[in-house]
Amino acid sequence: MTAPGVRDMTASRFDTALVELADDHATGALYGRSGVVYLCDGVVVHVESPSAPDLGVRLIACGRLDPEVWRRAVAEAGRDRRVGGFLVEHGCLTRGELELCHLGAVFDAGYFTLLPGSRPTRFLSGASHWLGPVRPVRAEVLRREAGRRRALLDRVWPWPASDEEPVVRRPGGDAHGGHGTGPTRSQRDVLELADGSRTPAQIAWLLGRSAFTTVLDVRRLAAAGLIETPRQRTAVPTAQRSAQDRLPQTTAPDISLLIRLRDALEAL
Amino acid sequence: MAIPGVRGASLVDWTSGLVLGTAGEGPDGDHEVAAVETTEVVRAVVDGGSFTTTQTGKVPVEDIIITGSGGYHLMRFVDTSFESSVFLYLWLDRGEANLAVARFRLQALADRLVLV
Repeated sequence: MTAPGVRDMTASRFDTALVELADDHATGALYGRSGVVYLCDGVVVHVESPSAPDLGVRLIACGRLDPEVWRRAVAEAGRDRRVGGFLVEHGCLTRGELELCHLGAVFDAGYFTLLPGSRPTRFLSGASHWLGPVRPVRAEVLRREAGRRRALLDRVWPWPASDEEPVVRRPGGDAHGGHGTGPTRSQRDVLELADGSRTPAQIAWLLGRSAFTTVLDVRRLAAAGLIETPRQRTAVPTAQRSAQDRLPQTTAPDISLLIRLRDALEAL
Repeated sequence: MAIPGVRGASLVDWTSGLVLGTAGEGPDGDHEVAAVETTEVVRAVVDGGSFTTTQTGKVPVEDIIITGSGGYHLMRFVDTSFESSVFLYLWLDRGEANLAVARFRLQALADRLVLV
């Protein structure tokens, strides 16, 4: 059952395929359009996505780990699939730091890998990741968490196009004006790197922090009118679809108009 | 558990209110509901400029304490050098607990999570 080999995927949704493999106690790597989930005996041991900074990027960006130490750990322990254990045994990280940072990276990459449009492309049976075991997560927990994060984003600003497009500061958007206390420190970090060409994922890699949190900040900034909302939606969340369908399908909705309307209502 | 009066504890990621670990019981017998509700409190404090403007540390707030008529609810931020969004939640019986002791022990527990 766990002999190395490629299994063709029949499930149309990534999360469905993942839960099925978990139920089968499978070991291997499930590939999708936006990431890879590694399973060991049916539990998730690692997730990586090009959209989400990995453990090494996070630890190096904050200065916790010297890039040379990381490189040496990967070179010396990667073949034995135990880079995480190597870092702890050599006193480069505590076990607690490894687990907390890894969990953060796993759920972050999990969000992007399990996006609804992501289809499973192949399952490489028997494959394992060079990081080695850290702290496993049940596939069902990963699936539920990805769904909860999607719902959180849609409550903030139901505009998924903002997540992948370059972040463009809005002319006239005053970061310190208006109601409330203005953007949070985390949001200001995003604004400072928004040069009109960087996507939220690129900003997250530069900061070495959670890409999901960056996307959440971008949606909050868009809702506050501090950045432009892209004209085209890349996807329409289910909850929004029925309302969207009732609108005249002529052009994309005028967002600046909606923002001005909201501002006017708040000023009453 | 070595903290007098403790009824339950959990480790929560306040990105979304995800429970990472639990011990004892949760208020109303449900750790998940408590995690979602404490996350709302934590986010309001972290995002609110009033509590964080003069702070410079990675974790802008050390802890949050809610005093209920029957119990104390303590939320202690876990400070890490890398970016993380995790807090420890402690639910205590008000009649049995000593708030100062609980707060002190919770701080040690949060430090231990990262130092060991």
